[in-house]
Amino acid sequence: MCVSFKFAKAAAWIFIQGVFLLWTSFAHAENFMGNELQLHGFLTQGVVTTSDNNFLGQSNKKASTDFRELGVNASLRPTSDVQVSVGILSHKAGKTDNGQARLDYGLIDWTVSSSERGRGGIRLGRVKNPYGLYNKTRDVAFTRPSILLPQSIYFERTRNLTVAADGAELYLDRYYEDGSLFVTFALGKPQIGSEAAKVALIGLTPNGRFESNLTPILNVIYEGDGGKYRLGFTAVKIDTNYNPGARDVLQAGRLTSTHKIFSAQYNAEHWSLTSEYALRPITVQRFGPNAPDSTTHGQSYYAQGSYRLTPKWEALLRYDVMFTDKDDRDGKAFAAATHRPGFSRFSKDWTAGMRFDVTPQLMLRAEYHRVNGTGYLPIQDNPNSSTLVQRWDMFMLLASFRF
Amino acid sequence: MVVIAFPSTSEKTISRSSLRAIFGMRLSKWPADTPVKVFVMKDDAPEHNAFSKILLQVFPHQLRLAWDRQVFSGQGQYPEQVASTQEMLFKIASIPGAIGYIKSSEVTKNVRILQIR
Repeated sequence: MCVSFKFAKAAAWIFIQGVFLLWTSFAHAENFMGNELQLHGFLTQGVVTTSDNNFLGQSNKKASTDFRELGVNASLRPTSDVQVSVGILSHKAGKTDNGQARLDYGLIDWTVSSSERGRGGIRLGRVKNPYGLYNKTRDVAFTRPSILLPQSIYFERTRNLTVAADGAELYLDRYYEDGSLFVTFALGKPQIGSEAAKVALIGLTPNGRFESNLTPILNVIYEGDGGKYRLGFTAVKIDTNYNPGARDVLQAGRLTSTHKIFSAQYNAEHWSLTSEYALRPITVQRFGPNAPDSTTHGQSYYAQGSYRLTPKWEALLRYDVMFTDKDDRDGKAFAAATHRPGFSRFSKDWTAGMRFDVTPQLMLRAEYHRVNGTGYLPIQDNPNSSTLVQRWDMFMLLASFRF
Repeated sequence: MVVIAFPSTSEKTISRSSLRAIFGMRLSKWPADTPVKVFVMKDDAPEHNAFSKILLQVFPHQLRLAWDRQVFSGQGQYPEQVASTQEMLFKIASIPGAIGYIKSSEVTKNVRILQIR
């Protein structure tokens, strides 16, 4: 890394912090030309250490601080039917994301019709994807159940594919006596042109770029009894074309995938149980002899319990499992064909964690992971598969401030 | 606890499902088309706890999470927080479209009580 680049990086970071401080000094709600302008944000810093392998930076027997989330947002309601919102996010995550500030979302939300029985409307612009229970605010530590979202479904590795899309989202709410139904249909282009998205899909060696077709997402959530239970279904159809680079090992192929996620949650006053199950078949076609046409059936699920010991303390226990190919769960066939470790095709993660809300604005968390398999580790942080270790431990700390 | 609204609000009753949608910051208009303005007390205020659990029948931490999810995805705004019963009464009495809650014993003539049907 040359000196001028380091300087530019430091200067950019100081600039972001300056904006953040300025933002916090504004009140939470301002009157802007007679309408309410709300300004909010958060700053999250994590520390990660692992017994083996790297996750969110150089964590192997070291403490990595390359896990940082900083966001600011503004929203304005010029009328009771229209909201304009913008969110900027800097997300630093090991070698998969350098923390460059980018537009997280920027949208105009228009409630076309509303009554006491429900409402319907449209969001236009860059909209967060309605994917499972947690994706819309996946980078906001206060809304996550743990430091790390269950990686079987909310991959750090492939976050660019799922985080947000440029397009439109239609929403329909129905409010019944027994519960509420929320239906969302989004159609947009995911942010797939990046290097990180390419690596997540086909690895480090190919040097081309992906280009996405419009991606439809259907998300249906039923909240019973004031949110005591929530049942959800999500279907996403990803359809992308590959543009090879110079002397690429791959040809101009097509990658398609239809993800289905089933979600269920029960919330009692002091505890919650959550589970999600996902099917992820991925089909590759016409990539040439180095990647023969195939369909791989990925499968993921987790079960999670959290208990509120006091209003400020919460404990969490989770078992989180993913298989890259459910017809080759232990990766033996993959290992025989590629001479790469079979355990890189699955991960089974036991997680125990604690959350302490010091104040409503400041939260501290600690989390321990006992993991079998390296299926969710990004290649960028672990480029040499021969150094991967099958059974590894991870300890994480996190502090998050919001306003 | 009772739900209170601006005195000339057209409604006298409200369904629990609409109340949940209003305090969940999803329903932002009264049937007569006027904008709704939601007022709450601090999350740990006994009044907020009682209102959430008894009238809305939603746990206060669930309500907070629902607001956070909307605000941090650009889909909604937070309700306005008031510091005291006096401030709640003042806001509800003076701002058209305002809705909030208060202990039954502290209701004044300047606000309208909304019965939950």
